[in-house]
Amino acid sequence: MFDVLIGNLTYLLRGAVMTLWLAVAVVTLGTLLGAGIGILAAVGNRIIRGTITAYIFILRGIPVLVVMFLGYYAFPALGLRVNTYVAVGFAQIVYVGAFTAEIVRSAILSVHPEQIAAAKSLGMRRTAILREVILPQAIRIAIPPLLNNALTAIKQTSYASVVGAWELTYAAREVVERTLASFQIFLGVMAIYFAICYPLSLLARWCEKRLMATH
Amino acid sequence: MDYLAQTAVLLAGLFPKLVAGFLVTLGIAAAAVPLALLFGLLLLAPRMDRRAFICAPTIGFIELMRNTPLLVQIYLIYFGLPLLGFYPSEFACGVAGIALQHGAFLVETYRGAIETISQRQWDAARAIGMGRFKAFRHVILPQAILKILGPLGNQVIVLTKDTSLVSAIGVMELTMTGKMAIERSAVSVEIFVTVALFYLVLTTALGGAARLIEHRAAGRH
Repeated sequence: MFDVLIGNLTYLLRGAVMTLWLAVAVVTLGTLLGAGIGILAAVGNRIIRGTITAYIFILRGIPVLVVMFLGYYAFPALGLRVNTYVAVGFAQIVYVGAFTAEIVRSAILSVHPEQIAAAKSLGMRRTAILREVILPQAIRIAIPPLLNNALTAIKQTSYASVVGAWELTYAAREVVERTLASFQIFLGVMAIYFAICYPLSLLARWCEKRLMATH
Repeated sequence: MDYLAQTAVLLAGLFPKLVAGFLVTLGIAAAAVPLALLFGLLLLAPRMDRRAFICAPTIGFIELMRNTPLLVQIYLIYFGLPLLGFYPSEFACGVAGIALQHGAFLVETYRGAIETISQRQWDAARAIGMGRFKAFRHVILPQAILKILGPLGNQVIVLTKDTSLVSAIGVMELTMTGKMAIERSAVSVEIFVTVALFYLVLTTALGGAARLIEHRAAGRH
């Protein structure tokens, strides 16, 4: 019954490699962008804070698929010719960035203000306080939600297939159209996604437990 | 006509269609939310069962749902069920897919809330002669509901955004309506900005309602 899956496995695995590339790009760039914005949101002046709050609010209120379509249509409208991966990947990076920024900002704000006062009274400069007092604590708090955020982003790369980017889910649809073995193929694809996502899921839970134990 | 006027005329013409799509989006969410809540509750007892032959398969199912993309789950239901002789509508397949995944996320939310309520509360309720069910119903559940309201509100918002995926199997909801409109007209970004605004209004309203409910419930205790 599953020989259709085995016969098409190499093709699907090529799709999985594409999914992994997309995921690595989106997660690293989205997290870096979001971390920068999140730090700015915590230390910036009122105009910067307001702009960032608006960015986070808008992006978090829209489905990622709609943001992907926006990215897909926005580049040509601006007169830029880019391939689908760049357009969809860029859209997803901006999307993941908004979620990351919110996590990083709230992690920084959760560091107790008395610690900042204590650091100031020791004569530390603002950048030194940020680097040596706030960030080491904030990073520990932010890691579990950031891992969960990455997990969501990896699963969301499959939506790029709807916009037309060839990756694992797109490859699966092609195979199903050819073989009509929808059940076997999609179950197999689910197993591949599971193999990618589950270890990360376990890592996130392990970090959460360790964080709880130290508090 | 200049650009602004032209776009305004075009969007005004599309508006009734977008509203119709928006209503379908609302319908999908309205059907999927109670189903997801219920499905999560149904999984709660087997998930918390101590016997391995009951809890192990439940955990396996929950983990599979949580660690695979919703889109693939919807495809599995939509393209897979006909092989087994069932032919549900696109709408039903979309709602089922969304309810299954969000139900799997909700079990863990429910469980987390129940487990954070200290064992001493259980012991105290049992000590004054309450049975297991009565203790759950009168002592644990009211406290758990308070703790759940926040994450529940978030889950409903995520679910509402996920309804856009149903466009991939051809349901004419908001995202699909926007996509079809683009294929027939010259402007594209403007239409999707409008679609995005519809979603933003909806999720903002839901977020406001969730906060209000949470606030009210917290005030009563």
